[in-house]
Amino acid sequence: MALTEGERKELMLRIIDLCESVSKRGVDPFDVEVKEFFERLRAILPKLRDWDELHLDIEAVLGLANVIFHQGEWIKHKSSLLYFDPLLIMWKLHSLSPKELAEVLAGSWHPILDMECLTPHGIKEAMDYWTNLPSFGERARLDATEVLTEEVALQELARLGILSEEEFVATLERAWGELKERADGGEISYWDFITARTFEETVSRAWLVSFLVSYGYATLEVKPLEEEILLRPLPKPMKLERVTRFSVPIAISRSEWQRRRRHG
Amino acid sequence: MAEEKDVAELREKVARAAQLLLFRRHMQPGVKAWELKRDLGRNYLEVIKVLDGELGKLGLTVKKVGEGEEGSESDRYFVTMRGHPSVSEARTFGWRIDDMAILTVALSYILSKRGKAPLKEVERVLEEKFPRWRVEQDIDRFIRRGYLEEDDEGVLYVGWRTRAEVDQKALLGLLLGREKVGEEKQGKEEEGLAPE
Repeated sequence: MALTEGERKELMLRIIDLCESVSKRGVDPFDVEVKEFFERLRAILPKLRDWDELHLDIEAVLGLANVIFHQGEWIKHKSSLLYFDPLLIMWKLHSLSPKELAEVLAGSWHPILDMECLTPHGIKEAMDYWTNLPSFGERARLDATEVLTEEVALQELARLGILSEEEFVATLERAWGELKERADGGEISYWDFITARTFEETVSRAWLVSFLVSYGYATLEVKPLEEEILLRPLPKPMKLERVTRFSVPIAISRSEWQRRRRHG
Repeated sequence: MAEEKDVAELREKVARAAQLLLFRRHMQPGVKAWELKRDLGRNYLEVIKVLDGELGKLGLTVKKVGEGEEGSESDRYFVTMRGHPSVSEARTFGWRIDDMAILTVALSYILSKRGKAPLKEVERVLEEKFPRWRVEQDIDRFIRRGYLEEDDEGVLYVGWRTRAEVDQKALLGLLLGREKVGEEKQGKEEEGLAPE
């Protein structure tokens, strides 16, 4: 029985979708009846009229060819030494304790060795630190100055951009631009980035960074053992659902700021 | 006289190769084949072989990780431990037991699925054993460090660092209790340059 145009299109779309599920969702390629689908495509080929239908036919044929490729890969994998029964692996993963699992990794692990050395980027960071370091006399004066907490002035809110959403976004974009520039395609220490000449400016920068991270302009990596927090700007803002679900409290006290200003 | 000159030149190149491989000059450790060729000359593989022998005395080896066709210039070379650390040693590198266990589960699951698995599936398996926040945090970190790779479709793959550091066959073998801890592997490696 001849298929109508709608039925032909539906058949081809169904084949394309099935082929995509093999390459993207890991469906077993042997579940696809490749030969049967090719025969059905051959049967409808003379009846295809417009470009859309021909385009769908090409996509379906390419999809089936891709399924055959995956079948080949599957056979290669199964015949390779890396093939182990997936069910057995799942059972083991469920039955072993975290310590036993850690031992499995340790037993097959040959960590890379590399040493960090001074790079032009590192020299630039050191130079920036030295240039921005206040003189000894200035630092002594800073130690003696005590500023009590006070209400945030209207002018201050305007400066931070809270009063206007547009201004706030612009401020955020500026901070993001600066972060990208200073990270130079990599990452930068959180403290290096937020530390400014005054404590107030440092807090203001930390506040902006919290938005950069929450809004997906940058990622934050906490290394508890190294006592290091790294900021990595993203090339474009991304919705990082898995990152925004937890908070990282970072205390910024005046004494901590002074300590970092002195020692970096 | 000419022979002495050759030996001195080779020594110099071996030293240069060690510097290239051990000091990190990019975001990622290791050196690409074309960089070695540029700095050490066309016979860079011979220099690397000599260096591998020298490093072997220190319990280290040079490892090649292919990034395309066999013998490609984009192959990357690393220095890795010849043997493997104990769990307690790994903890001194900053690894928690839970982190190691999570990586084991993620890698084993991906390898059992022919080298790729949806992130959601991997997370679901891990969340049966570990808290969600730790799973998410660790997977993000493993992706950043190169142990795992994620594509735009949210599918996880084995990353470049895993290919460099983890003996995948030994990992699955140990998991299933089929092999002793990489003893055979180590014996083979001592014979020469460790293959991928």
